Amino acid sequence: MAAPILLENPLRQGLFADRVPAPCSLVIYGASGDLTHRKLVPALFDLYEKHLLPASFSLIGISRSKISDDDFKKGLKEALKQSEPQLSDSLWNSFSQNFHYIAGGYDDFKAYQALSVMLDKVDQENGTAGNRIFYLSTPPNVFENIISNLGAAGLAKEEKGFSRVVIEKPFGHDLESAQDLNRKVKEVFKERQIYRIDHYLGKETVQNLLVMRFANSIFEPIWDRRYVDHIQITASEDLGVGGRAGYYESSGILRDMFQNHLFQVMSLVAMEPPVAFEANAIRDEKLKILKSIRPFNEHTVYQWAVRGQYGPGFLAGEKVPGYRQEEGVNPQSNTASFAALKIFLDTWRWHGVPFLLRSGKRLPKRTTEVAIQFKEPPNLLFKNNVSDLAPNVLVIRIQPDEGITIKFETKVPGMTMEVRTVNMDFRYGTSFAEGTSEAYERLLLDCMLGDATLFIRGDEVEAAWDALMPVLNNWETTEPENDFPNYEAGTWGPAEADNLLEKPWRKWRRL
Amino acid sequence: MATTAQNIEKDLTDLWKSSPEDKTKNLGLQRVYTTNLVAYAADHEEGFRVEQILNDLAEKHPGRYILIRPAADSTETPLRHYVSGHCFFGGKEKKVCCDLIKLVAQREVIENLYGFTFSLLMPDLPVEFWWPGNLPYQNVFFDKMAGQANRVWVDSSKFKDPLQSLARLSAFWHSRYPHTLLGDLNWIRIQRWRSLIAELFDGEWAKHLKDVNRISVAFGEGSQPTRSFFLACWLAAQLGWVYKGNRISEFPEKLDFEGPNGKVEVILKPVPVKDAKRDRIFAVGLTTGGGNSGMFTVVRDEDPHSVTARSEFNQKVSFSRVVSFEHLHSNQLLDVGLKHLEPDAVWRKTLHLMGTVMEKPDLTPLEQK
Repeated sequence: MAAPILLENPLRQGLFADRVPAPCSLVIYGASGDLTHRKLVPALFDLYEKHLLPASFSLIGISRSKISDDDFKKGLKEALKQSEPQLSDSLWNSFSQNFHYIAGGYDDFKAYQALSVMLDKVDQENGTAGNRIFYLSTPPNVFENIISNLGAAGLAKEEKGFSRVVIEKPFGHDLESAQDLNRKVKEVFKERQIYRIDHYLGKETVQNLLVMRFANSIFEPIWDRRYVDHIQITASEDLGVGGRAGYYESSGILRDMFQNHLFQVMSLVAMEPPVAFEANAIRDEKLKILKSIRPFNEHTVYQWAVRGQYGPGFLAGEKVPGYRQEEGVNPQSNTASFAALKIFLDTWRWHGVPFLLRSGKRLPKRTTEVAIQFKEPPNLLFKNNVSDLAPNVLVIRIQPDEGITIKFETKVPGMTMEVRTVNMDFRYGTSFAEGTSEAYERLLLDCMLGDATLFIRGDEVEAAWDALMPVLNNWETTEPENDFPNYEAGTWGPAEADNLLEKPWRKWRRL
Repeated sequence: MATTAQNIEKDLTDLWKSSPEDKTKNLGLQRVYTTNLVAYAADHEEGFRVEQILNDLAEKHPGRYILIRPAADSTETPLRHYVSGHCFFGGKEKKVCCDLIKLVAQREVIENLYGFTFSLLMPDLPVEFWWPGNLPYQNVFFDKMAGQANRVWVDSSKFKDPLQSLARLSAFWHSRYPHTLLGDLNWIRIQRWRSLIAELFDGEWAKHLKDVNRISVAFGEGSQPTRSFFLACWLAAQLGWVYKGNRISEFPEKLDFEGPNGKVEVILKPVPVKDAKRDRIFAVGLTTGGGNSGMFTVVRDEDPHSVTARSEFNQKVSFSRVVSFEHLHSNQLLDVGLKHLEPDAVWRKTLHLMGTVMEKPDLTPLEQK
């Protein structure tokens, strides 16, 4: 991942923390919101603590709330204290000394003019050199408005320094709206200025997928249809919809998890080696995978896609309500809180290998992993002694216990030929005492450095929507085959998901 | 039991097998090796200190550690060994384990112990050799280890005559050990200062670097200003200055360089301090001439854990911020050093420049050896 280092400053050379970005201002729209308080500012503070934030750095928060600079900072400080209880006043004052706030509606052009004036002033006083990042941490319905106003105020122009825009998910509601949004954004910003964020890509293990595949020679030769039986990608959550019922009712699990996170992880697992470790080379290969997804048709949408919705159940011994009983949810809702898809990629490498993707809410635990299950050995030498050999599995755990496990068969010591499955584990926590960084920390730093490798390109977004639309359209226009709810909270989803496995030796992994 | 490579390996195998947690609680014991680290301690007391440091370091760099120290008296057996395992808990399970082999030997045995030491290392992993004390001039063990290790760590703050030892390192290291990297924990100690000074010149501020005409580094009165000297030579090396004074055999109060815009004066200034660690740097100031008279400073605050970085132009503050400042202990310094396997070109450049400032060393005894 080539990162521009401040080579014009010779004193930066050789410093271990040399991925320090150029001076810049970060403008956050939706600055009074949850994401800013819970993720963005703690991530910035971590960067500051690691001396990875440029010395000349300003943060300008914008939202509708009519509050002063001091109140804005006070709110951020209180939120930061949740994760940093030892935060001292002097450290906070130093960190936040160039934080400012502008109150204004997202359609109020005067607020953009005020922002422009403030940015110039900050450049003058704080040496931020005309470098700007606009972070849209707002509901998606105001993205277009903000972007067109930024354009009208001349803030997308790169006259003195860089101007970048970071767009949070969801990027569109369907293919048409994503295409429309892409068009609108590109009227103002060039593709290289646009950073569509998917925080999954900022996770250490997701990045390690690339290192594991392309920095080792032992995996790549067996990474294809000849050796791989199938691949399972699971992203499960034990939580219900919580306070997000309004959003979730109109999105459902496919929009929330598949179009972005799961498809991105799948494309990293399946893609061909890129020609360079560079943003567009990697994104070109991911795009090919997304475009190779065999389209769902009116038959396969029933055979290869299973939907579910949780009913009441128990989690960790505690009774939890069903989806339809959650606050803000329509009591007759047919929104899917679980989905499992069987995906085929029409490529030479993966021809005939099913990618089994599943994700759901109120499953027994929160976990995300990729499991590559290999085919059985062609000739079973030990059939007289062993009735059933377990397949070799390579598991890449993305969260919460980041690491890699290889499952293989071994002889049990003794006079008899007993075979037992063992796990060989690599855990980040056991090999590196240094903790992995938060996804937002990594992504904010990359954006400041101008490294778009871990961000999604416009054509990737559209390709993902395109692949998913037949399932979305079917599910939104038809009743579920089995009445909802069809799985109990605290279980691994509806039994129908097993139909996707097709072969007797394939089983959903018990996680 | 005799000290042989086989016996040591057997002891290690028994050690991990007999871990009580494995038998009773069935906790997964995971051993991961990322490095080999060989340390030499000059005596029992230093051995104790080094062992503590290795123990702390093991949490971050799982690997095989070997500690070698001379026997306390000549009646002890020529060579004996001890093995121990070090594990750390993270959450419910053990994390990061490593093993330590301690070899205690008569001094004459140590001279020929390098081959045996290498036979105990984990194959295919880098070999780091840490010499925590004074730089030796005629030591076969050091010489052989330095010739075969991937990197040697010294600590110039522990050198009895830092200028002479640094002059020697500058003069002979790369010709004598062309394949072995040299690391100095004292160089890592000034990294935070380097970083803070560098921050003041990011972006458009970098243009002022060519106008720097005076540097002042304050250190504790009554101590050797090795780190201050490092810092001054680092600035000179990175900014392309040429030394114009006489070669030095003692730390001077003033050094003269020639920069792109003329003369640059470097002042190493002792200041009275309460701090017990007097050899620390207390303040650094860079003054610029030219059309814009500027002052860039990084100064220790009352709070020992923070410093203020500031730039002023025409006596008007342009930038000021307080940042945290951690003093790193030896285990933390090694931790930082071991994380980076690649050669440190800036350190090499700085050491080379120091070689042009210091009096040329007499290398005869070492060459004869």
